[in-house]
Amino acid sequence: MSAFEFEGHEALVAQLRAGTLAAPGHLHRRVLAGAPAKRRRLAAMSARRRLVLAVPVAASLAIGAAVINGVFLSPSSSPTPFNAASRVVRNGGYPKLPSLSHGPKAVNGANGATGMQGPTGAEGPTGPAGPTGAKGATGLQGATGASGLKYSSRGGSATGAQSGGGPEGAVGKTGATGATPVHGAGAPASPDKAVTLAPLQAGADLPQTLDRAGAGIFNPSNSLVIPTGRLVHAEANLVVSVPDHDALTQATNKATQIVTALGGYSQSVQYAASHKGYGRSFLDLRVPLGKAEVAIQKLGQLGDLTAQSVSTQDLEQQFHQQTNQIDQLRRAITIYKQALQSGTLTGSQRVEVQIRLANAVDELKGTTKSRSQTVSSGRTAQIRLTLQTAGHAAVGPQKTGRLGQMLHNVGAFLAIEGIIVIYALIAALPILLLIALIWWFTRGRRQRDEKRLLAST
Amino acid sequence: MKPVNAMPAAIAASRPGRSQPFADVVAENLDAVYRYLVYLTGDRVAAEDLAAETFEKAYRGWRKFDPHRGAPRTWLCRIAHSVAVDWFRAEARRQRREDNYVRDTEMLGESVFADGFSPELDQALRRLTPAEREVVALRVLLELDGPSAARVLGISQTACSTRLSRALKRLEEEVGDVRV
Repeated sequence: MSAFEFEGHEALVAQLRAGTLAAPGHLHRRVLAGAPAKRRRLAAMSARRRLVLAVPVAASLAIGAAVINGVFLSPSSSPTPFNAASRVVRNGGYPKLPSLSHGPKAVNGANGATGMQGPTGAEGPTGPAGPTGAKGATGLQGATGASGLKYSSRGGSATGAQSGGGPEGAVGKTGATGATPVHGAGAPASPDKAVTLAPLQAGADLPQTLDRAGAGIFNPSNSLVIPTGRLVHAEANLVVSVPDHDALTQATNKATQIVTALGGYSQSVQYAASHKGYGRSFLDLRVPLGKAEVAIQKLGQLGDLTAQSVSTQDLEQQFHQQTNQIDQLRRAITIYKQALQSGTLTGSQRVEVQIRLANAVDELKGTTKSRSQTVSSGRTAQIRLTLQTAGHAAVGPQKTGRLGQMLHNVGAFLAIEGIIVIYALIAALPILLLIALIWWFTRGRRQRDEKRLLAST
Repeated sequence: MKPVNAMPAAIAASRPGRSQPFADVVAENLDAVYRYLVYLTGDRVAAEDLAAETFEKAYRGWRKFDPHRGAPRTWLCRIAHSVAVDWFRAEARRQRREDNYVRDTEMLGESVFADGFSPELDQALRRLTPAEREVVALRVLLELDGPSAARVLGISQTACSTRLSRALKRLEEEVGDVRV
């Protein structure tokens, strides 16, 4: 207590303290009548202390949930496609390969499809059976559905072909009805794309054809045909393993040389290597459609082909639609021009026709450009090639181990929790600020009222 | 007479005890709270009611009381202050409707703030504002330290000190005026 505050008023202070005033007895009884017993320790905790306690408890719960997630949901039973492929390479097992097409052969009805069904088999047959439907020689049983590419078009000029299994993949190794090639026959069928990229799965059955290729390495030399007689956009993804870093460099250069020699080019090349000898190259290549098969075959031979997928999209119908549209627009433009030159139109009609003419001209430009892009897209095939060192593929998962994976999962789960908390805070921040502002304003107002009230005698 | 700046035994006795029964707190602090309210309101009858209300609120909030944040007496005075402010608001509304003249003149004859006060001191105290009497009660009678009194009043320690100085000075002046 500060003595200086009472300086000069000691007598007055003493006089004030000398006065006695005790609460009346009835007030004591009145108050004590409602007095509770001892306080409970837990209940005595203030809101601030509860908050201080709640934060570590919440943090512990979050970490506990992350640990449980890491321990019980460890990815040992759900490998990523890449890891699975790595194990396949290391163990020499056979992967279940992605489905592939068998275009021309199927069209000719000579051989059955050798297409294989991956776990995400694309679609069943949509085209009608052709007159020369051949039996599948080595068709594979699909896991969930049939696969293969579908080629079709309108107006009976289709050369629909399909390969692989039936709708339910009911095709055995010996290819009971593996391919049902269609050749024209005026069958309407929709021009669909069939994306057939499927991850490699460890321990899956390998077809006989690939079995002969040996050692779990996929040899695509006789399993892929991209039709060249039609306007088709083709995309291929290849993953090729090479033994070491030097081989990776050579394969990367070689891949570029291959596509250049075939009249294509490398749109982008990404090369990454670590000091431990691991490395990867990602090449985005373009080759003329007619050379796509050769390119894929040669690129697959740069090392051990561990994954491959091919998808095609028929562009014929799109091309015809655009052509028809261009013709219609040209005719309309001619009519509009004739109408304008005739001089029979009123002023308002003339303006309207001029507007329509301008719109038609613009639309013609756009459609012409789109058709050019369609043609351009149909002339080249896109090949995405991934080259990686075998060490990278095999050692990667081993290096982390189960404990490492677990810790990784725990960290990832914590990161997700953190993100959720941050999002919640961001979302709640304006509301909290508003509440704080209202509270601060109300408090200030109350204090002013209180001061004014107590200042009046 | 106790030394002015010594730590009073009452405050020492009301230092936080973790499992102190509420009845003990009542026994130790009821007189102090009642006296504080008498000073604040200038009305013994009202102070009784307000003291009872204060302890009723304290009873309800006893589980929330954190002994680490202050002594029970400070906490009780804070509640009493809040209760008294509400009373002042109600009183202000009532006075606007009624004429309080008769009651005020009747009270002039007896000492309100303490037994044994001279009529001059009692009259002088009556002339102070409630805010001035409040700070005198907290610092002089209840002998709360500066931070505790400031917390009860909801103002800064400096403002509390200034208010006390002005209140004592004015009380001296009022006592002198009454004597003259």
